[in-house]
Amino acid sequence: MAVFNWGISNEANNWSGGCGYCHGKNVGPVIRGRALPADAIKTIVRHGQNGMPAFRPTEITNSELDKLAQWISASKADPKELGK
Amino acid sequence: MSMDMNRRAMLGTAVVGAAAATLVACKENPAPLAPSVTKADFKGAVAEMRRVVGDEWVFADTDAVIPYSKTYIPDPTHRYVPVGAVAPSTVEQVQELVRIANKYKQPLWTVSTGKNMGYGMAAPATPGQMVLDLKRMNRILEVDPELGTALVEPGVTYQQLKDYLDENNLPYWIDVPTVGPIAGPVGNTLDRGVGYTPYGEHFMFQCGMEVILPDGRLLRTGMGSIEGSTAWQAFKWGYGPYVDGLFTQSNFGVVTKMGLWLMPKPPVFKPFMIRHAEMSDVSKIVETMRPLRVSSLIANGNLMMSAAYQLAMFNRRSDVQADPGPLTDESLKKAAKANGLGMWNTYFALYGTDGTVAAVEPIIRAAIGASGGEVLTEAEMGDNPWFHHHKTLMEGGLNLDEIGLLRWRGNGGGLAWFAPVAAAKGKETEGQTKLAREILEKYGFDYTAAYVIGWRDLHHIIALLFDKSDPAEEKKADECYRELVKRFGEKGWASYRTGVNTMDLVAEQYGQVNRDFNQQLKDAIDPNHILSPGKSGIK
Repeated sequence: MAVFNWGISNEANNWSGGCGYCHGKNVGPVIRGRALPADAIKTIVRHGQNGMPAFRPTEITNSELDKLAQWISASKADPKELGK
Repeated sequence: MSMDMNRRAMLGTAVVGAAAATLVACKENPAPLAPSVTKADFKGAVAEMRRVVGDEWVFADTDAVIPYSKTYIPDPTHRYVPVGAVAPSTVEQVQELVRIANKYKQPLWTVSTGKNMGYGMAAPATPGQMVLDLKRMNRILEVDPELGTALVEPGVTYQQLKDYLDENNLPYWIDVPTVGPIAGPVGNTLDRGVGYTPYGEHFMFQCGMEVILPDGRLLRTGMGSIEGSTAWQAFKWGYGPYVDGLFTQSNFGVVTKMGLWLMPKPPVFKPFMIRHAEMSDVSKIVETMRPLRVSSLIANGNLMMSAAYQLAMFNRRSDVQADPGPLTDESLKKAAKANGLGMWNTYFALYGTDGTVAAVEPIIRAAIGASGGEVLTEAEMGDNPWFHHHKTLMEGGLNLDEIGLLRWRGNGGGLAWFAPVAAAKGKETEGQTKLAREILEKYGFDYTAAYVIGWRDLHHIIALLFDKSDPAEEKKADECYRELVKRFGEKGWASYRTGVNTMDLVAEQYGQVNRDFNQQLKDAIDPNHILSPGKSGIK
């Protein structure tokens, strides 16, 4: 299974087909390039932070979420992203 | 346009802690079981379910249920919390789970992608239910390139279907609700959701279902029960009573497959926006647009967005008005003008060929011009983010821009859609807008609303936005929503769809005979009441 069950198999695509719809698009805050702790990212994904929906293991498994959280944590900032 | 709001501070460990604290159920205080279920029953059901789907796909402790408990709706008493979840991957597993549910009388609340955003997300309408999470059943079973039909499982998202069409160079569009990337056609259609292209009335473009009945039998509707038929996704009606509607907004079965029609990609797509200057203009907008829509000169639904709704997508309230009192027309006009918007912003598109669009456009421009509206296209609006958003939706494109509504007031994220229906007549808007503003402002909330002419119907879509991290505001939002339902209903404006928090309330408005009939059907086919009790007020 891939993240969000979209047949997506790597973290960059998981980002663009999932998180990246809001984060960096003026909907959610910018989160790349901030070295956010991976554990905090995972908690937020499962709980649904503030206006963010929660995502279930049927949408993104624990092992997929581990990899995605590490990828976000280690990512560089993208100057094209907008974060209101 | 101002796009400089800094929301980075929203993230941090303190806020993570706040998210966890909002959930009342915990190991010491677990969510209550259903009245018919003992602790031993629940334990027995969970153990048998684990044998069917594997340990990994049964969620039966408080921590594991957390992602199923997140909602945007007001829930001041924390009533809408499941006791567990189970996620099958096959039809046969669904049948086994239904058998187990019957054995232990354990109710199952079915969700497809679980993203019924402002209506309760994946949460059940009554306590004690396990969520039957169909997200793992995510296969696109068939796309017929000649007929433009698809057969999909419940976990398929709109994103997945669009990707499939793009990757296979199939010249068809999908039709999406506002949260297309994470929602899917089965769940949205079954809740009778709508979209923005000419195929926007989703249930109208549904064709054929496979349903697991409450006793575990497998029913295929329409031509699906005819061996060798090629028309399951081509002919809606089959023979005898048409039953597909019984499985929408209901709890009479678990839909495991659904057919839908795909819109052929038109050679020409031309989106429009009409800008009107005054709040009072909405009546004449409806009068102007109705004949164009009813005649299908305009083939998609006409969406009339108020300035406040539009501004709330990409702004915080304090950007529009510093005063926390009721939003004034003066504040809204000023902010709208600064962002290229009017007090009402009407969106539609023309779909066809160069010839048909060129023939229809002057007729539409003449009608709209007479209403005092400014007719705008891509040439004038360029990359205006609101125009871009609606253009994207009207060509079946994907974005999640409207989740931005959740941060209009504070950081807590609270949203409940209120969606009463009337005939598509301008005079309907006068009383509705006045009543909505009166009730919303009484509780300190804003009239962030839109009207939609579907075909001959007028939907009033009101986003009740509140800060869910503030318990007092959540309580007020709950009271406000109930007053909206009640007082609109008294005038004949009942909802077409509602959240898990008000399903009984709306069902009452449709009358006792209606309720009794639904309940008679339920009692006959699901005597143990194991499928989604409480859905649409049906126990």
